[in-house]
Amino acid sequence: MTLRERALQELQRQPMRSAGMVAQTAQLLDQHGLPQPRDEYWRNANLRAFEQVTQFLPPAHSSAVTSLPAPLPGFQRLVFVDGRRAAQLSDAAALQLLADPAAWPAPADDQGYRDDQRFALLNALFGSDGAQLQLRQDAAVELLFIASGAAGSSYPRLAVQLADGVQARLVERHLGAPAAGGFICTQTRVELQRNARLDHYRLQDCDASALWMDTLFARLDAHAHYDVRLLGVGAATARCSAEVVLSGAQAELTWRSMAALDARQVGDTLLRVRHEAPGTRTSQLFRGIAVGQARIGFDADVRVSAAAAGTRVSQSLRGLIEGAESGINLRPRLTIHTDDIQASHGATTGQLDENLLFYLLSRGLDVATARALLKWAFLGDVLSAIEIPELRREAERAAAGHLSDQLLDGALS
Amino acid sequence: MSNPGTEPLLKIDDLHVSVGGQQVLRGLTLAVNAGEVHAIMGPNGSGKSTLAHVLAGRPGYQITRGSVRYQGSDLLALPPEERARAGVFLGFQYPVEIPGVNNAYLLKTALNAQRRQRDLPDIDAFDFLALVRERMKLMQIDESFLARGVNEGFSGGEKKRNEILQMLILEPRLALLDETDSGLDIDALKVVARGVNSLRSPERAIVLVTHYQRLLDHIVPDQVHVLVRGRMVRSGDRSLALELEKRGYDWVLEQAVA
Ligand SMILES: Nc1ncnc2c1ncn2[C@@H]1O[C@H](COP(=O)(O)OP(=O)(O)OP(=O)(O)O)[C@@H](O)[C@H]1O
Ligand SMILES: [Mg+2]
Repeated sequence: MTLRERALQELQRQPMRSAGMVAQTAQLLDQHGLPQPRDEYWRNANLRAFEQVTQFLPPAHSSAVTSLPAPLPGFQRLVFVDGRRAAQLSDAAALQLLADPAAWPAPADDQGYRDDQRFALLNALFGSDGAQLQLRQDAAVELLFIASGAAGSSYPRLAVQLADGVQARLVERHLGAPAAGGFICTQTRVELQRNARLDHYRLQDCDASALWMDTLFARLDAHAHYDVRLLGVGAATARCSAEVVLSGAQAELTWRSMAALDARQVGDTLLRVRHEAPGTRTSQLFRGIAVGQARIGFDADVRVSAAAAGTRVSQSLRGLIEGAESGINLRPRLTIHTDDIQASHGATTGQLDENLLFYLLSRGLDVATARALLKWAFLGDVLSAIEIPELRREAERAAAGHLSDQLLDGALS
Repeated sequence: MSNPGTEPLLKIDDLHVSVGGQQVLRGLTLAVNAGEVHAIMGPNGSGKSTLAHVLAGRPGYQITRGSVRYQGSDLLALPPEERARAGVFLGFQYPVEIPGVNNAYLLKTALNAQRRQRDLPDIDAFDFLALVRERMKLMQIDESFLARGVNEGFSGGEKKRNEILQMLILEPRLALLDETDSGLDIDALKVVARGVNSLRSPERAIVLVTHYQRLLDHIVPDQVHVLVRGRMVRSGDRSLALELEKRGYDWVLEQAVA
C-alpha cells in the first residue's frame, strides 16, 4: 500500500469537519500524489521514514505537557499541543489574535499545494487547528508547537498575513516531550502585503525519534521583506520544503538556515524562490554540520522570470563534515530569464581547516575546545543573526547537544 | 626533567626535517639559554618557518633525525597544545583569520589553558579585561578589536601586532617570532619592538626570525645565526646582521662551502 493509500484509508475514520474541504484535498492528493525518492528534489530526503508511521490520525487525547521553555520577553505566547491550541498554556491576549479554526481556507493549487509542496495536503487533510494570524499592527508572537508524546501524528499549522507596512516578529518553535516521536507534518503560509516586514525565527528541536515534514509557502508583495532564520537540530528525519514567491517589485527574501545533526539523523531542505517582479532580491545562507553518520542536504532552486529585471541573488551554502560516514549534499541552482541580474553563489563542503586548528592549538587550547570553537564559528553566520538573546542562547544550547561539544558562551564575534 | 638548571632552555641537535617529500632542515643545531635573544636570518626558502613550525608542533613534518630539548625534556614528544602550555609561543609569519571566533574569547581561553596547567583558577573576568586593556594599550590596538573575529579583516600590520598582543597576555618562556617585523610601518615596528622588549627577562628566551637588521636596532640580540639550506652556516653577534645587510648572503654561502 502506498503512503497516499494508507493516509486516505485512515482518513475514512476521521470525523469529518468539512466534508467538502476534505473531498477537495483528497482530490488534489489523488491528482498529484506524494513525492517519490526518485523525484529531483527528494533525493536527499529520507522518505523511507514514512514506513514507520503507524498512525496518521492525530492522537485522540494529548498527554499532559509539563515543561515549557521560558517565555521570550516582549512576545505574546501561543501554545499548540499535538497541533491543537492549548488555551491554558497560552497568553489570553494572544488567543484573541487567532481566527476560528474553521476559517482555514481550503487548499488550492495556486497556494503552493502542488509540486514539492504536496505534503501540505496531508496537513490539510488531517489537521484541525492552527494559528491563523492576520496582523494589522506591529506584533511579536511566539508559537510553540509541542508533540506531547501521545500516540498519533500532529499537524501544526500557521498562516500569517501582514497588512500594508506592518512589521512583525514571529518565533516558531517545534519541540517534543522526551521520546515524543511520531510524524509531525506542518504547513506554514505567509503573505506579506506592501512594505510589510516579517522576522520569522523557526527552531526545530523535536525529539530524536520524530519525523518532521515541513512545508512553507510565502508570497511577498511590493517592497515587502521576509527574513527567515531556520535552525534545524532535532528529529530523526527532517525535511523543509519552502517556496517563496517575490511577486511585487523590490520584494526581498533573506534566508539564513543551519542544521547541526549527529548519529543517523537526516535533514534536508528545498528552498525554491521565484523572482517574478523587477528589483527583487534574495540572499540565502546555509550552514550544515554533519557529525557521525548524519546526512544533510540543501537544494536551492532560484528562478528569475523575464519580468524580474534588476534582480539580485546571492547564495552561500557551506557544509562541514565531521564524521567519516556523514554526508552533505549542497546544490545551488539558478534559472534566469532576464539579462539584468546580479548573482553570486558559492557552495562548498569540507572538513575543519587544519591551519585554523593548529593556530588554536598553538595557543594552548585543547583539541576538543579548538574543534568546538571552529564549529561555532562556522555556524556563527546563522547563530549571530538571531537577534533575540534568549532565543539565541537556546539555539546554541540545542546545537551544542548535537555537536557533542560544550557550549562556548561568548565565543562568537 | 634532567638538570634544567645547567641545560639551555632550548637545545636543538642535528635536526633533520622533511616536508612534502623535500628535505628542508638538514642537520640544524642551535642552543638558546634563558635570558637570551637570538635572531635567525637567511634567504627565502632556507627553512626558517619550517623550524618555527616544527618547534611549535605543526603536523605534516617528518623529523627524520636529531632532537629538540626544551627545559630539559623532549619537546618533540609533546602535542602542540601542551608545548604552548609549557610556555612555547609561535608568532606566525602569516597569522590565519578565524572569522566568527571572538578575539577576546580566544585570548581568555588561551590564558586559562595556561593557568590550568599551573593549577591556577580561571582568570576573573574583571582582571582579564584590565590585563587585556593594559597590553592593548602597549600594542596600540584599539579596544574595538576585542569584539572582532580573530584577525578577521585585520590589516597585515594589525595581524602582527595582534600576535604580539597574544604573546604579552600568555607570557611565554620561549617566544618564536617568525617575521613579526615584515609588513610593519616604522611606527608599528617600534611598537612591536617595545612589546617584545617588555617580555625580556632572565627566565625567558626569544628567537626572532627576520630579514631586516633594522628590527635588531630595536631588539638587540645576543646572537645572530644564518640559516642556509636547512643548516646554520654562521653565527655571530649583532655585527653579523649589519654585515649581511651590506653584503647579502653570497659571501656566507661561499665561506660555508669552502
Ligand atoms: N608543505 C610543504 N610542502 C612542500 N614543500 C614545503 C612545504 N612547506 C615548506 N616547504 C618548502 O620548504 C622550504 C623552506 O620553507 P620555509 O617556509 O621554511 O622557508 P623560510 O626560510 O621561512 O622562507 P621565507 O623567508 O620566504 O619565509 C621551501 O623550499 C618550501 O617550499
Ligand atoms: Mg618563512
